Amino acid sequence: MHRLIRPLTLLLLLFAVLPTASAQTELGGLIDALSTGKLKQRSGQIEAIAATGDARAVPALQALREGDLYFRKSDKKVFITQKDGKDFRLIDPLSGELAGTETKKALSKVKTNNRLRRQIDDVIGALTLLSEDPQTRIAAAATIFKTADPASLETLEAAIAQESDAEVLAAMQRARAAIVLKTDAPDSDKIEAIERLSSDGGREALPLLTAMAARSEGAVAAAAQQAVAKAERTAALWDTGQTIWYGISLGSVLLLAAIGLAVTFGVMGVINMAHGEMVMLGAYTTFVVQELIRANMPGLFDYSLAIALPLAFLVSGACGFALERGVIRFLYGRPLETLLATWGVSLILQQAIRTIFGPTNQEVGNPTWMSGAYELGGLTFTANRLWIVVFAMIVFSALFVVLKKTAFGLQMRAVTQNRKMASSMGIRTPWVDALTFALGSGIAGIAGVALSQIANVSPNLGQNYIIDSFMVVVFGGVGNLWGTLIGAMSLGIANKFLEPYAGAVLAKILILILIILFIQKRPKGLFALKGRAVEA
Amino acid sequence: MKTITKTIRSIGLATLGAAMLTTAAARADDTIKVGILHSLSGTMAISETTLKDAMLMLIEEQNKKGGLLGKQLEAVVVDPASDWPLFAEKARELLDVHKVAAVFGNWTSVSRKSVLPVFSELNGILFYPVQYEGEESQRNVFYTGAAPNQQAIPAVDYLLENEEVERWVLAGTDYVYPRTTNKILEAYLKSKGVAEEDIMINYTPFGHSDWQTIVSDIKTFGSAGKKTAVVSTINGDANVPFYKELGNQGISAEDIPVIAFSVGEEELAGLDTEPLVGHLAAWNYFQSVESDENEAFIETWKAFTGDENRVTNDPMEAHYIGFNMWVKAVEKAGTTDVDTVIDEIIGVAVPNLSGGYSAMMPNHHITKPVLIGEIQEDGQFEIVDETDGLVAGDAWSDYLPDSAKLISDWRKPLSCGNFNVETATCGGKGS
Amino acid sequence: MISSFVFRALDRRARGVIAILLAVALLVPLANLGLPSDHPLHVPNYTVGLVGKYLTYALLALALDLVWGYCGILSLGHGAFFALGGYAMGMYLMRQIGSRGVYGDPVLPDFMVFLNWQELPWFWLGFDQFWFAAIMILAVPGLLAFAFGWFAFRSRVTGVYLSIITQAMTYALLLAFFRNEMGFGGNNGLTDFKDILGANIQADTTRAALFSASAIALALAFLICSGIVRSKFGMVLVAVRDAESRSRFFGYRVENVKLFVFVVSAMMAGVAGALYVPQVGIINPGEFAPANSIEIVIWTAVGGRGTLVGPIIGAVLVNAGKSVFTAAFPEFWLFALGALFVAVTLFLPKGIVGAWSAATARLKRQKAKPPVDAAASPEAAE
Repeated sequence: MHRLIRPLTLLLLLFAVLPTASAQTELGGLIDALSTGKLKQRSGQIEAIAATGDARAVPALQALREGDLYFRKSDKKVFITQKDGKDFRLIDPLSGELAGTETKKALSKVKTNNRLRRQIDDVIGALTLLSEDPQTRIAAAATIFKTADPASLETLEAAIAQESDAEVLAAMQRARAAIVLKTDAPDSDKIEAIERLSSDGGREALPLLTAMAARSEGAVAAAAQQAVAKAERTAALWDTGQTIWYGISLGSVLLLAAIGLAVTFGVMGVINMAHGEMVMLGAYTTFVVQELIRANMPGLFDYSLAIALPLAFLVSGACGFALERGVIRFLYGRPLETLLATWGVSLILQQAIRTIFGPTNQEVGNPTWMSGAYELGGLTFTANRLWIVVFAMIVFSALFVVLKKTAFGLQMRAVTQNRKMASSMGIRTPWVDALTFALGSGIAGIAGVALSQIANVSPNLGQNYIIDSFMVVVFGGVGNLWGTLIGAMSLGIANKFLEPYAGAVLAKILILILIILFIQKRPKGLFALKGRAVEA
Repeated sequence: MKTITKTIRSIGLATLGAAMLTTAAARADDTIKVGILHSLSGTMAISETTLKDAMLMLIEEQNKKGGLLGKQLEAVVVDPASDWPLFAEKARELLDVHKVAAVFGNWTSVSRKSVLPVFSELNGILFYPVQYEGEESQRNVFYTGAAPNQQAIPAVDYLLENEEVERWVLAGTDYVYPRTTNKILEAYLKSKGVAEEDIMINYTPFGHSDWQTIVSDIKTFGSAGKKTAVVSTINGDANVPFYKELGNQGISAEDIPVIAFSVGEEELAGLDTEPLVGHLAAWNYFQSVESDENEAFIETWKAFTGDENRVTNDPMEAHYIGFNMWVKAVEKAGTTDVDTVIDEIIGVAVPNLSGGYSAMMPNHHITKPVLIGEIQEDGQFEIVDETDGLVAGDAWSDYLPDSAKLISDWRKPLSCGNFNVETATCGGKGS
Repeated sequence: MISSFVFRALDRRARGVIAILLAVALLVPLANLGLPSDHPLHVPNYTVGLVGKYLTYALLALALDLVWGYCGILSLGHGAFFALGGYAMGMYLMRQIGSRGVYGDPVLPDFMVFLNWQELPWFWLGFDQFWFAAIMILAVPGLLAFAFGWFAFRSRVTGVYLSIITQAMTYALLLAFFRNEMGFGGNNGLTDFKDILGANIQADTTRAALFSASAIALALAFLICSGIVRSKFGMVLVAVRDAESRSRFFGYRVENVKLFVFVVSAMMAGVAGALYVPQVGIINPGEFAPANSIEIVIWTAVGGRGTLVGPIIGAVLVNAGKSVFTAAFPEFWLFALGALFVAVTLFLPKGIVGAWSAATARLKRQKAKPPVDAAASPEAAE
């Protein structure tokens, strides 16, 4: 397959300038032939198209790759299609002219699969080494680096000869080095290639070098071994960094899930088993907002999370307010009994959501700014995790400011520390209770918006986080916001460091045992509250 | 007890109205009762509620056609609430209290294992509609889902032939189905010449949500210069975060394809499928199958649920096949008597939804085609490969040393679920 | 000594409860086996199995009540002790299958053959003997409770902290038992039992016998609990519950008091689990789920904590409700259950028995002096 690429590129270049009448009909026929035969024959069909070397085949191939290539059932003619409402616009694959519209029923898709897509990539990729756009050239070089097919060497060297952009050149040189290792080039060339890969090959070069060290002898092997050792040292360092990042990211998820609980449970002492359901309500609010936006204003989709945030806060907050006024206020002084009542409420909320939205997962989309990943050195930061970390910090800071800097926060703390005294100072304690509970629930709702981006949005969402949330709050120390932050982060990081050695399940078990042992050492958590309030 | 149930039920009717109509309101004698044992709450409700609806639809359709043996069918729905011991209790209730003629239900092996003793004790019939690990054949159970050789092995064959995969990640949730499937696959891959170090096996707990480490491990494993694929037996809930993480870490289907055995249309409905295009699944049915039966089925389903966007999936087809087989066997036997039906149903063939016929084999598994599909942007699958003929379900895997010599045949005079061909005795490997 | 214990344990109410339980243990199996199935007093098999299950739940709730209602230790991990007892029984039953498993291996249970294990892990040894399993049913939960309590009570972990780490304990065990490497059958657990003590486990007589055993075990546990709470030690328990620091200053070794009841309670839970498993036919890690442990707390609260009859009534009522509702309103039963919990907490803070006692006490007060009942004051338990 790859053997084709070299002559192909030259041919394609040639024919791009000189389309002939016979090629025109030939190519047309070959493209129409895609409508016949089974998937297994398609690879041969694509080879045949590529063998014409006609660059005008590229749009058709690209359309095939994207699954936009259809044929008309009546005459088996192949078209590139664009969706037009319920129908499809047909575009002639060669001329690019509009050739009418058809309903979906009259058309049949030209099927493709991963292997064909890769084949098409190769065909197109070899071409794009000489593309106008430097980014495309870098991508092409990266593709070649990955496959490292000796057959591409000549094309690559031709491209290197005329490349002027330094960045692109480096990428191409890297790809060339990877190929050289696979050929029977002289040792000096190979050592040079090894050095290049070792200096800027990055993480992907490691397996190449390892394979080289095992395969070769003498000076080449020595050079390769040295390079491997160096690469492994760097990789180990980056790995530690990456693990810490994973830990922080997991910690942020835990923090988000637990921070609302830190208010309702930590500050108020209510064992709120319905906390998870408040998170779930937030996630469903996001879902509803996205549905409305999809139906009415698709352009706003990227802002859907921003719109959902205040709404989720209000929905969950209102629900929390109702819960406090309706149930919990009768139970002050009997904290363990709040467990029972809120457990009942949580069952009701779960079943209500199940009845309204159905038991299946709901689709909550990622806005574009939350998709993809950023690379920094040897670290990868996926966008959604990065935003969740940032978001968790913002929520934490905001809550901290509310508690420490506002009048409401002051009243809240006063009521927590000494209800009677606060009451006699003129604070309306029932009102403060209700608002505090609403605040905690509202924050849980906000957390739901964030968690909808990484988890299932289903009626069971809350159940998956409730135990972890309690662990975090208790580990950090009830009633202490800093404790929740540090608790969440240390549990997250510890978990991620254990995971590679112990596996995901054992890591979690070890963390739980660790918590149990830790509580023996510090029976009031990491940051214990001091003073009279503790005994109350 | 019974009277309490009845009183409460009538109150329920008054207050809850239509929802209950199907389960109540009939005399015992002029109807045939069919039990539906699917979780409507708890963790499994996500998957099982749809199957309950599918069964209600099938029963309704059958009643429109005049019922069975001149009687109307009556569905008895109970909720085992994803609680395994409760499955056993509810199975007993269906058989002992409601005297149902057959039960359609269960999802997950543990729920099936939990009810097995009940079905053999009270001599009932259970149709189990989900793919499972095999290694079981019971007289009272009919397995209409796929055995490993009807799903996993053809899937791996596809990757071997079409994608030329050389390195394999077997990722699964830590329970018996993935464990067995992976064991079978490991043996199978080794028999195909795949080296030990080219197979990575990874297990995660149920509902695992933080996939960062594992996905990056897969990425590293796959960057060794050999074509790599993931065979996923990850269960239900954990899939969404898994695929999201794959997409975010930039692993596309062209780099490392993932072939899944538990991800169908229903699971994809809860997912933004755009980053998943090209990842694969192996099933015996996809909604996108082109056949007249399927078109009619989808239409009825959408009409029944009143929801244009409801999708169909493989376990629904399994119930469709199982239910029709049972109906045909009862008609053939002229009675719903359990022993007669168990004898008569072997060899019964009914249309499946992919345009062919499925038959009940003597080992209580059925014949099915195996389809490989690629995920599309609209949450449907595009069928990229299909076995040439039907594959008969194999209760005992040929790739596990202890089960290779076992066969199952419930026809008389053998009537044995674990017949050892070496020792020619019924009862496993013997001592 | 023993007779005085028994004598003290038996006030009028306790005598009544035990008499009822023993009558149930005798009459229900008789009505099930002895009467023809069309007899109006015939108890169907299904009911025997169901009520037998409730009785084990009742025993479990009673065990929890001993630590929560009388000593103020809210354990959110009692399901773990129950499950461990169940696993010990399950292992015995697994070994009894012998070569009747699907693979016909004379020693290894099916799931081990399935995982290619060559020999029995050491912790499975001995479980082919009933006496050994019986010891383990008490010893394993007891030892776990002892180890856990030894550390926790000595470190003076109290209140919600204690509740949460008990929850962590059962959650960790849940995850551990899910692992197939552990050798307890992973998610599928232990199932497909054939014999118990040589009798076919599916036979009606066996089921009736298990039912009787459950009722008698419950009566016995009731007697023990009753004895404990009515002894001087019981007074100390209540003192620890109501004012822990004060009891400590009086010179009581609070941690030993707590440790003792915690271990006794865990053993009772283990027995409940052991009786539960042969009746439902399966034990799997799901029993360790934290939600199950919370449910036990709820049964106790619904019935009335701090009373000995309460948990029994609560467990039976809630579970009977669950059985009826899951069949009668499969789509809506969770609403009913949830509403029940909210309603009980709001309107019957002392549970059904507490409300009953309060009502009868009010009636009696007009006639005579009310009886002094330590059990009826569970406030300020934390």
